[in-house]
Amino acid sequence: MKGKLSIKHRAVSGAVVAVVVVIIVIAAAAAIYFATSGQKPVTSTKDTIVVGTTDSVQTTIDPADAYDYFGINIIQNIGDGLVDYAPGTTNIVPALATTWTVSPDQKVWTFTLRQGVKFADGTPFNASVVKYSIDRQFAIDEPEGPFAGVGYDAIINSTTVLGPYQVQFKLNIPFSAFLALVAFTPMYPVNPKVAPMHSIVNYTGNVATENPNGLGPYMLAGWVRTAGKDIVMNLTANPNYWNASGGYPKTKNIVIRFYSDSTSLNLAMKSGQVDIAYRQLAASDITSYQNNPSFKVWTGPGQFIQYVVFNEKSPPFNNVLVRQALAAAINRTAITQGVFYGQAVPLFSMIPIGMSYHIDSFKSVYGDTNISYAVKLLQQAGYSASNPLKFTLTYPTGHYASTDGIAAQLQAAWQKTGLVQVTLQALPWSNYKQSTSADQLQVYIYGWYPDFIDPYDYTAPFLPADGIGFLHSHYVNQNMTNLIEQAAQTSNTAQLQQIYSQIQMLTAQDAPLVPLFQGTTIAVSTTHVTGIILDPTTIFRYYTITATT
Amino acid sequence: MGLRAYIVTRVLLTIPMVFLLLTIVFFVMRILPGNPVLLKFEKNADPALVAQYTHMLGLDKPIWQQYIDYVWNLLHGNLGLSMAGTFEPVGPEIMSRFPATLELAIYSTIVAIIVGVLLGSFAARRRGSIADGAIKVYGIFIYSFPVFFLGMILQIIFGVWLGVLPVGGRTDIGMIPAGLTIGNIHIQTGLYTIDSLLSGNLPEFFTALKYLLLPSLSLGLVISGVFVRMTRTNMMETIRSDFVTAARARGLKESTVVYSYALRNALLPIITIMGLQFALLLSGAILTETEFNILGLGSYLVDRINFRDYTAIQGTVVFLAILISFVSLIVDILYAYLDPRVRY
Repeated sequence: MKGKLSIKHRAVSGAVVAVVVVIIVIAAAAAIYFATSGQKPVTSTKDTIVVGTTDSVQTTIDPADAYDYFGINIIQNIGDGLVDYAPGTTNIVPALATTWTVSPDQKVWTFTLRQGVKFADGTPFNASVVKYSIDRQFAIDEPEGPFAGVGYDAIINSTTVLGPYQVQFKLNIPFSAFLALVAFTPMYPVNPKVAPMHSIVNYTGNVATENPNGLGPYMLAGWVRTAGKDIVMNLTANPNYWNASGGYPKTKNIVIRFYSDSTSLNLAMKSGQVDIAYRQLAASDITSYQNNPSFKVWTGPGQFIQYVVFNEKSPPFNNVLVRQALAAAINRTAITQGVFYGQAVPLFSMIPIGMSYHIDSFKSVYGDTNISYAVKLLQQAGYSASNPLKFTLTYPTGHYASTDGIAAQLQAAWQKTGLVQVTLQALPWSNYKQSTSADQLQVYIYGWYPDFIDPYDYTAPFLPADGIGFLHSHYVNQNMTNLIEQAAQTSNTAQLQQIYSQIQMLTAQDAPLVPLFQGTTIAVSTTHVTGIILDPTTIFRYYTITATT
Repeated sequence: MGLRAYIVTRVLLTIPMVFLLLTIVFFVMRILPGNPVLLKFEKNADPALVAQYTHMLGLDKPIWQQYIDYVWNLLHGNLGLSMAGTFEPVGPEIMSRFPATLELAIYSTIVAIIVGVLLGSFAARRRGSIADGAIKVYGIFIYSFPVFFLGMILQIIFGVWLGVLPVGGRTDIGMIPAGLTIGNIHIQTGLYTIDSLLSGNLPEFFTALKYLLLPSLSLGLVISGVFVRMTRTNMMETIRSDFVTAARARGLKESTVVYSYALRNALLPIITIMGLQFALLLSGAILTETEFNILGLGSYLVDRINFRDYTAIQGTVVFLAILISFVSLIVDILYAYLDPRVRY
């Protein structure tokens, strides 16, 4: 017994001693390592820039599948379209196509392609590649992808190869905004050797087989992801890029590091782990960078808008007076300043500022924070202090930023009339969409990122002919439906100006939904970084950025 | 009953426990609002598509049928397909995330034990002194300290102000340790500190260690509170026992008496505590991982809850339950082996 006991004691003390020795060895080795090596985190030289983000590729980087901001943005940097936006503008310029023509009825579009362009593996780019890429979109027709989501499958009828460098698209309907569709990632050509006709290209951990793109300024050099979340992504300059002679890309390597939330990203920026932080720093953190001379804050117009929806199936919101009164009372500045620290701007139309044909229609109909007018309308609708309008404003959590603040500001503005009582209700994003589809909500908040850069994409999806769409506002107005149909078929700018003005005025008068604000695109960088372009397209271009050491 | 019978009994008892847990999670998940299919659609959910996905994921079957199907697959070792993203199998996803969590847990435990045992035995030896009082307060204070708050303080001090330690991630860009390849056998554990040693790359090893330092320090310190208090109490009892008095009477040095005679016996209960602390360690890891940007099982679970990814959440819960049972079983066996007075 006694002998046994001591063996066990020895075992315990042996283990303790072993652990202590290991610790000491590690500590000593670490001390030596830190003493002999530079302790600074990796800083970039001129040929590598580190970008930090809280985004992550949601599914894949296949143009047939990617429908999230970040996935699309990567494709925009490692792939290219037949046409592109000139950086800093919404002007469409030649890219993989050099010229194009359109038939008078807006239904047949013919593109002449750039010659001598090739993929990294030597596969040449030509009209067959374009046809393959579009036919593949039809073959896959991924229900959650952008091709079906935007409605390409309903717009494009066929793709024809007219010559080695000439390709023609026939459309089912006249569609004047077609170039905006061509400039978006679903129509980016893919490498037929990497992208099979009938299946999506998934992440494999091997850059040769997981990236169907390859005509852009950068190539995918490395991508590490675990269980659907990105850890790091490396991009390196594409020697075959058609515009390499134009000096693009400006920096040889881009490393993207992914952070779990805005706090981690903020710390990484502050501690020098990244050169640029883009999406999503908290508004309060951005304010602190604005007052810090070691950092630069870059701002540009955003394409993100947020708005309030009234469900006309839920009385009294079928009464236009009630909707107008609530639209009149909203204090947009309280939201943009109080909730977003000035990192958003008040919006008086569903078509954002900086986009063609935008007019401040809600301002011309209601003014701004017009409480007295709201009171008048509510009294006309039969409400009084003893018989106030009571309803619930529902807002989503875990999807858009600061929705609780927005809801609180709306409640405050509406209750200023003295004739309204608002109950606030928060719902997690998943249930929120479900409740919307089931018509369980009265008044609710939604946001919108455009699918393609055209005013059409800021009107048609919100105002469908059946009044349902994804917003379930149940607003039906034949006038509106006709106007939207005309907008799709007209290419004359003067006529479009008139049609969109009418659409915006009608939206303001009927107030089925009310625009609140437009986001601002913000990036933070060290003072060494130059060349970040934040324009109305919200494409974040890595290839224009440079940094000095 | 013998040790073998004890182990068998314990393992058999684990099975109904895991099933009970799984059943609760299974039904709670489905009672909660929100469903994984609708979450897949950002803007427009076409009813026909929703129906198609619902059918594909088997969510259109009666709930009891879903439960039986799930358990049936589980018994065949199949955790099913994830309901979020690209419908990957859950098993490999969990295994790809687990190493990061395990590594964090191991280093945090090492921190907790070293700090706890050193402070605890020191306090016991100087019983009633100011140092003892201070250590007692530390033990209570640190244990009640929120782990994420401590983490943030460490991040600000060492990452932002001093700029000497990374505030997030697991290693530098492009330095993922390759592990060891012998012929056609490839050993890669996913624990960066081990993989880097296997591939014999010291700079990689120290980089991984550097990244682990802050997260394991914050989690380890919070857990060390329990170890401090336990060690102190045990030491005091042991110091009063006969064999220590005998050792002193033989004229041995006080430090020898305390650190090699008394501490050895006082450490036994610490092993039990380690087992009990393991579940706490994992829950702490969930917060620490999110904060330090480590893609482990904790952040996986948080992510998937947001997506209402039923299969992934169930799979993770089953995995963690089995893991915790297994660890506590090992601890009990170890304890029985080390302390001959314990008989099962």
